[in-house]
Amino acid sequence: MIRYSLSLFILVLLALVVQQFIPSLTGLFNSRLLLVTLVFLCASVTVGPPVMLALAFTCGFLWDAQSALGPPGGDPMVYSDPAESLRFGYSIILYGVIGYLMQGIQPLFREGKWQFSAFLVGVSIFVYLVAEYLIINFVRGDFIFPRATLFQIVFTSVLTMLFSPVVFWILFHIAGRFGHEIRFEGLKKKRRRRIAA
Amino acid sequence: MRPLNLLAFLLFLAGTVWALTRSERTVRDIQATYYSWLTPFLNAGSTLEVRARTFLDEVENSKKLEVELSAMRDEFDRLRQVEAHSRELEEENARLRRALDFQKRTEFKATVARVIRRQTTTWWQTVEIDRGWQDKVAVHQPVVADGGLVGKVDRVGDKLSSVILLTDEACQVSVQVEGTPEVGILSGQRGQYEGGTKLHLRFLSPKARISPGTRVFTTGRGGLFPANLLVGTVESVLPGPLDSEALVRPSVDFTDLSTVFLLPLP
Repeated sequence: MIRYSLSLFILVLLALVVQQFIPSLTGLFNSRLLLVTLVFLCASVTVGPPVMLALAFTCGFLWDAQSALGPPGGDPMVYSDPAESLRFGYSIILYGVIGYLMQGIQPLFREGKWQFSAFLVGVSIFVYLVAEYLIINFVRGDFIFPRATLFQIVFTSVLTMLFSPVVFWILFHIAGRFGHEIRFEGLKKKRRRRIAA
Repeated sequence: MRPLNLLAFLLFLAGTVWALTRSERTVRDIQATYYSWLTPFLNAGSTLEVRARTFLDEVENSKKLEVELSAMRDEFDRLRQVEAHSRELEEENARLRRALDFQKRTEFKATVARVIRRQTTTWWQTVEIDRGWQDKVAVHQPVVADGGLVGKVDRVGDKLSSVILLTDEACQVSVQVEGTPEVGILSGQRGQYEGGTKLHLRFLSPKARISPGTRVFTTGRGGLFPANLLVGTVESVLPGPLDSEALVRPSVDFTDLSTVFLLPLP
């Protein structure tokens, strides 16, 4: 369990590095593969709440360190109405929320039905991005939700969801290597089938 | 809820509150540490990308490149002559200024930088350039391209910096409409994409008389950007009861940013 959990943290760090080289697709409304979020979501369904929360904190913290904007600067007499930035640390909360969403479907996942979890990855990313965009609207005022933004969110969610089986496969591989059982029920069923055969 | 889960949740909450209450300076320190850890990977990736691109270009266009190289050499020779002539003119200009007792102008120093990554975050319009502390880059330093203003430096690392583009809502510029007394604040708009991006010019007078096609320049007020940098051209004006607004087409093609110039802070 400990070795598996540690490997998840290493996987998240690797995802952060790889994320730097994943470009946004300008032809698809700047949508992109959110690898860090994907790894977190897939990992959070394979572990208990304590490890999930630790992962959520790590991912949210590092994500904000990567993307937080600095103060606007300039003379406040001239720039009297600056666009507010999001507070450092807000992503930690969002990661926690989507992590709990994934935890909710954990019983199905443990029965071996990873397809539901893969679908929920897409839903969670959609929720995450919508929430993030709504926070931006709330902080900066003037509610604006153009169709292009909706497409960006949808395409990002779908694109990321499509890669979730690959991450699940990697996680199963790591779990198998470190002797961590993440599909109890599924494995039991398989054993039963083998015995019956 | 199990005691262990409850404890984990409380620790998570405490950690979140701690992160949310960090000061701006601490956040910048955290970001600096994060990027110093990440910079070797980014540099290696960028170098590999450049090498791969160069290799592919060489393979595909070696003959074309030879012709281009020859043409560029000719152009280089011609430009050297132009530069020599320009130096003569500069010296002559300086002599005349001294003779007329003009106040010496600030030297125009621009640091060239290469754009190594684009659109690095989900929502912000930013690019990363290959200059940092080591090249004396400073936060809020203006960034221009051959077409005009690009944006300003938002975060500075050892060897890399992040530039917030003019097309982002958070990059505000004090501007003046050419040939009119109209001044306003220009910024990007939320939810717009690079292809058809329009900038939003606010706080113009209610009866602003601006015709489409008029150019927009920086005023130099506000301590962020020097004066007279071209920003874009007015596309349309939306009159309002209290103030007018205008949509401005940026003068820089943000989809084709590869080399930019860092200007000194005003």
